[in-house]
Amino acid sequence: MKMPPFRVHSPKSLDEALQMSQDLAESGEEFDWIAGGTDLLPNYKWHINVKSHVISLSSIPELRELSEGHIGSMVSISELAEDTHTHPVLAKAANSVASILIRKSGTVGGNICLDTRCYWINQSETWRESIDWCHKCDCGTDADCRVIPNQNTLCVATYQADLAPVLMCLGASIHLASPKGVRSLPLSEFFELDGMKRNILEKGELVTHLTIPEDSSEWVGDYQKLRQRDSWDFPEAGVAVLWKGVSSQGPERLRVATTGLESIPSLHLEEAEGALSSWRGAETIEDLAESIRKAVKPVQNTWFSPAYRRKMVKVLTKRACSDLLVI
Amino acid sequence: MAEEEEDSVSGDEIIGYRQQPGKLPFSRPGSGGKNRFSEATDPEKIPISQGGSLEQPWGPHRHDELVSGQIIGKPTALVDSSWKVTGRAHYGDDVRLPGELIGRIVRSPHHYARVLSIDCSKALELPGVVAIATGEDAKNRFGVLPVTKDEHAMAVEKVRHAGDLVACVAAIDEATAREAERLIEVEYEILEPIHDMRKGLDDSEEPIHDRGDYHIGESNIQKRVFQEFGDIAGMSQKSIASHKKSWLFAGVNHGFTEPHAVVANWDPSGRLTLYTPQQVPHYLHRALADVLEIPMHQINVHRTFVGGGFGGKSDPFPHEMCAAILARKSGRPVRITFDREEVYWVNRGRHPSRIEMNLHADKEGRICGIETDALIDGGAFASFGHVTTYYNGVLHTAPYEIGAFHYTGARVWTNKPASGAMRGHGAVNSRCAVEVGLDDLAEELGVDPITLRLANLLPPHSATITGFRVTSIGMRDCLERVKEESGWDKKFRKLPLGKGIGIGCGFFISGSGLPIHWDPNKFPHATVHLKVDMDGGVTIHTGAADIGQGSDTVVAQSVAEVLGLPLDMIRVKSRESDTSPVDLGSYSSRVTFMNANAAISAAMKIRDELIDATVEITGAERKGLVIGDRRIFLKSDPAVGVSYLEALHKAQEDRGALVSSGAYRTPPMGRTHKGAAAGLAPAYSFSAYVAEVTVDVETGQTKVDKVWAAHDCGKALNPLAVKGQIIGSCHMGMGQVLSEEMRYGRNGNLMNPDLLDYKIPSVHEMPEVVPIIVESNDPEGPFGAKEAGEGPLLPILPAVCNAVYDAVGVRTSELPMTPEKVFKMIEKRCRNEGVSDPTELECPSLQYSELQKTLEERGEKHKSRDKERRLDEDRGDYYNGALFGLDPSTPPDEVDPRWEVRVTPDEVYLASPRLAGSAWKHTERRHMEGTK
Repeated sequence: MKMPPFRVHSPKSLDEALQMSQDLAESGEEFDWIAGGTDLLPNYKWHINVKSHVISLSSIPELRELSEGHIGSMVSISELAEDTHTHPVLAKAANSVASILIRKSGTVGGNICLDTRCYWINQSETWRESIDWCHKCDCGTDADCRVIPNQNTLCVATYQADLAPVLMCLGASIHLASPKGVRSLPLSEFFELDGMKRNILEKGELVTHLTIPEDSSEWVGDYQKLRQRDSWDFPEAGVAVLWKGVSSQGPERLRVATTGLESIPSLHLEEAEGALSSWRGAETIEDLAESIRKAVKPVQNTWFSPAYRRKMVKVLTKRACSDLLVI
Repeated sequence: MAEEEEDSVSGDEIIGYRQQPGKLPFSRPGSGGKNRFSEATDPEKIPISQGGSLEQPWGPHRHDELVSGQIIGKPTALVDSSWKVTGRAHYGDDVRLPGELIGRIVRSPHHYARVLSIDCSKALELPGVVAIATGEDAKNRFGVLPVTKDEHAMAVEKVRHAGDLVACVAAIDEATAREAERLIEVEYEILEPIHDMRKGLDDSEEPIHDRGDYHIGESNIQKRVFQEFGDIAGMSQKSIASHKKSWLFAGVNHGFTEPHAVVANWDPSGRLTLYTPQQVPHYLHRALADVLEIPMHQINVHRTFVGGGFGGKSDPFPHEMCAAILARKSGRPVRITFDREEVYWVNRGRHPSRIEMNLHADKEGRICGIETDALIDGGAFASFGHVTTYYNGVLHTAPYEIGAFHYTGARVWTNKPASGAMRGHGAVNSRCAVEVGLDDLAEELGVDPITLRLANLLPPHSATITGFRVTSIGMRDCLERVKEESGWDKKFRKLPLGKGIGIGCGFFISGSGLPIHWDPNKFPHATVHLKVDMDGGVTIHTGAADIGQGSDTVVAQSVAEVLGLPLDMIRVKSRESDTSPVDLGSYSSRVTFMNANAAISAAMKIRDELIDATVEITGAERKGLVIGDRRIFLKSDPAVGVSYLEALHKAQEDRGALVSSGAYRTPPMGRTHKGAAAGLAPAYSFSAYVAEVTVDVETGQTKVDKVWAAHDCGKALNPLAVKGQIIGSCHMGMGQVLSEEMRYGRNGNLMNPDLLDYKIPSVHEMPEVVPIIVESNDPEGPFGAKEAGEGPLLPILPAVCNAVYDAVGVRTSELPMTPEKVFKMIEKRCRNEGVSDPTELECPSLQYSELQKTLEERGEKHKSRDKERRLDEDRGDYYNGALFGLDPSTPPDEVDPRWEVRVTPDEVYLASPRLAGSAWKHTERRHMEGTK
């Protein structure tokens, strides 16, 4: 596998990076940001949406800051997992990402912005040619979606990153920068329901860091993940459940988020709200798990079938809630 | 030291003018090797039969007198291991020749199509493109088996699977070659592909292969087999318990580390050298000569280090032809290296299979019948499929004594990457079905499944129902050892829900009895040459292909043992066909058995010469001389003797280097019915595994916790390598049983041609494996050894399946049993039993019936029978059938009219055949109508 040639730019500061992105945009050149490269480069080797320039973020010190409540986008996943300030559930999710080698290279920002995945796209060029391409990378052929042909203008490739659901449950905000300026928003509003567009990042915009609210230490919970093997494999389903202020009447607050099931991760506000409104212990958890199962709509484009993944979402939700019943 | 020199000078009296000799540049005694002095012989390494103290519970062996106590039986690092661990081993893609070009292959995007035209003009105009070749450049067919040559270097007329080769291009670098690949325009007429193997049984308007003179209807059936042995009619009449299951096995790929890579170079004298990681260089050698239309002596096949083979590098491959063709056209070396995806296109992995397995047991707990029907999906080419079709049946006629055996098998061509030989060739899937069936049968009979097996084993030195001659059998020991070490009696059917334990056995050939290309009575299977020059080091020339299994080490060990030398004095030259005597290659687990036997016979000749020289020097009686560590001496008076080098130099007088040649041929074996040769082997290996698993009843996720793995390899020449093979086999088999599959999508595309989505178990999934070596001392094996490379894979699949049943009470009929499939079965069981929460399911339990005691007693009786047979040189014949009351000394079909031998079906069968059996509905035609 050989990557097509591209030019690497290595800015030393955020300003320089943004300037470069503006310059490239003005000269009509396309580019990708590259962080750890563990997602981008395999895709490049497969010739998927390759650009002629990449801007590396690895030499920008301000993106590497990691402190309580602040996670720079270039913090590696293993640094996050091992840091003493990291919320235990976030550390658990981080530790379950891919393999130890990939966690050393892969970054938090890269994981949040992970490209969506699908059996019909994550293949070599020859392979994709043999199915007449698909609309996520159609090579100018106007090809249709191969998962759900003839009815979908959106791409249904699956978002399979582990950190987002936990960060969403912790109430994290995401901070972006572009030549036009900076902006911040809740992480749950960052994603866009389309496997091609994926998120709200504009051309030339990048993720600088995430912030986690001060009350995060009061939240407890769990992250549960489904996959074939305990290493390497992307989540076929992931469920984060976090809560705070538990009494016999149940928790005061409760958040549930899922990943690996659709083209974006989802924060299930209504379902959590429903559970809190009439707490009946184990029975409520059963109902909550059932409602999460109903809320997700996986498609046939990963290792396990959609039917199995939905059933397992229910089991994972219950397991993530198991500490709620111990009290 | 000074004294020694003085001695040697005074000993050499110079008469007249002579060039001063080197004044004995070699020190003595001992000398040679890292340690200058020879060590005293350790009696514990010498067999009792030779006066040592090494116990021989299985009796003496014909190689006992060759044991010098050096290396056999000691855990030994492979002789090439330091090359590998220091990164200096050169694999296929590491070969760099000056002026090399990079070759790329243009592959079909269609499953099945006629190639109408290929336009290379644009590609040829691209700067940097040096040569392009298409099917027109090499139209001769080839294939690993002479009876089924159905491959071309590149498509001639048709492409037969997505990824099939259409053209190839050589350019100055990879980027240019890839660009040229895109510029080659191919026009196709798309044909209707076949993906479902069942459709391959039907007549087709456009059969995938034009077979010339031979046809089975107009179908895509490549090979069909029908076999009936024994009391077929009595099988169901006498049965009191039956098992019936229809299996679906997904195809799996070898998953070796090194993708295929090849470098071809034509030298100025017009000879071709092909550098390739091949398991079977000799067959490639023949195929190259056919395709390139040059004589074999003009070709040197150079086997590089092989980064794993497992059967996946044992066919002559079209890309090897392509490299040679491009190199010839361009006049420059050409290197082609595969992407992982291309490894899946060329495949040759285990056949996707549909197997129906029926077992019957009679009131005495005897296995009165095995009925197997196996339809196997060959993909686009024949490869080893002819043999695979037989192996799916005949390799489960042991280790059990059976009353009847009915087998129908068929292999069909489909528009998928070709299936072929993979570790445990043809035996793995049907073995899994048999062993799971026995577990089920045991439950029906109310007996322990290990007891059932122990009471139905063939004794050593017997013949199977199909007439295989089986010599040493360590099956009983394997079963007893795993039973004891796993704590079976305390665990089986007694563990809580979600925890389970299961048993599985295996039986495999130790070398295929028939060489593919010639009559075994004419040429040997393996030949080894030795050369020993003045330095004392021994050069071994062998064609056996070390593919990581350690064949270089085994041949070095064998020679070192016979000559009493340390391993570092042995060098193995096994890479080039120019210098290596022909060896058939690394397949069918033949190398240790055949090649080490050839090496021993070559070493015996050198040994004889050394002993003769010793007699000449010492005047000692020849009979009393033995070889120890670099010393030949009188057994009765070890002080009388000479060093190895002294003897060697004496033997070299007047003639220089000693050379010898040794060869191995199989003895005459087997019966005469059609297909009788398939599965014949000079020896067979046996194994029994117990696996303990945890199944998450809510998700279906199965984790193998521990495996006790006993394997009878005859004699562990290198226990370290045997253990490695056992552990590696467990890993590979676990992949097939739990997660590995070549998954085809709804359009027939292979969905997971990469190592992320093709789920090979990682280190997290790997359980602790306790390897248990059983040594049954095979009478014909080298020092008693048999194979250990493939057989150990077989039992892990059924052991895990049976353990999952013990844990949650569900039996799979599909592999791999991914969590999803196990969960589905658990759900179904819950529905059937009206249980809403799977954690409330009940575990299977076992109530012994009266039969248990009968079987225990029979097992004990057979145990002493077996012991007697293995030690008694004058034992009589034992034909399968004796357990059913027949005379053991005669083949039952010769004395009992009910006992059948049939290789074609009758009309009664054809009225309602099973799936693969329906292949026999087609009429076989030997030539095209009207053409001859």
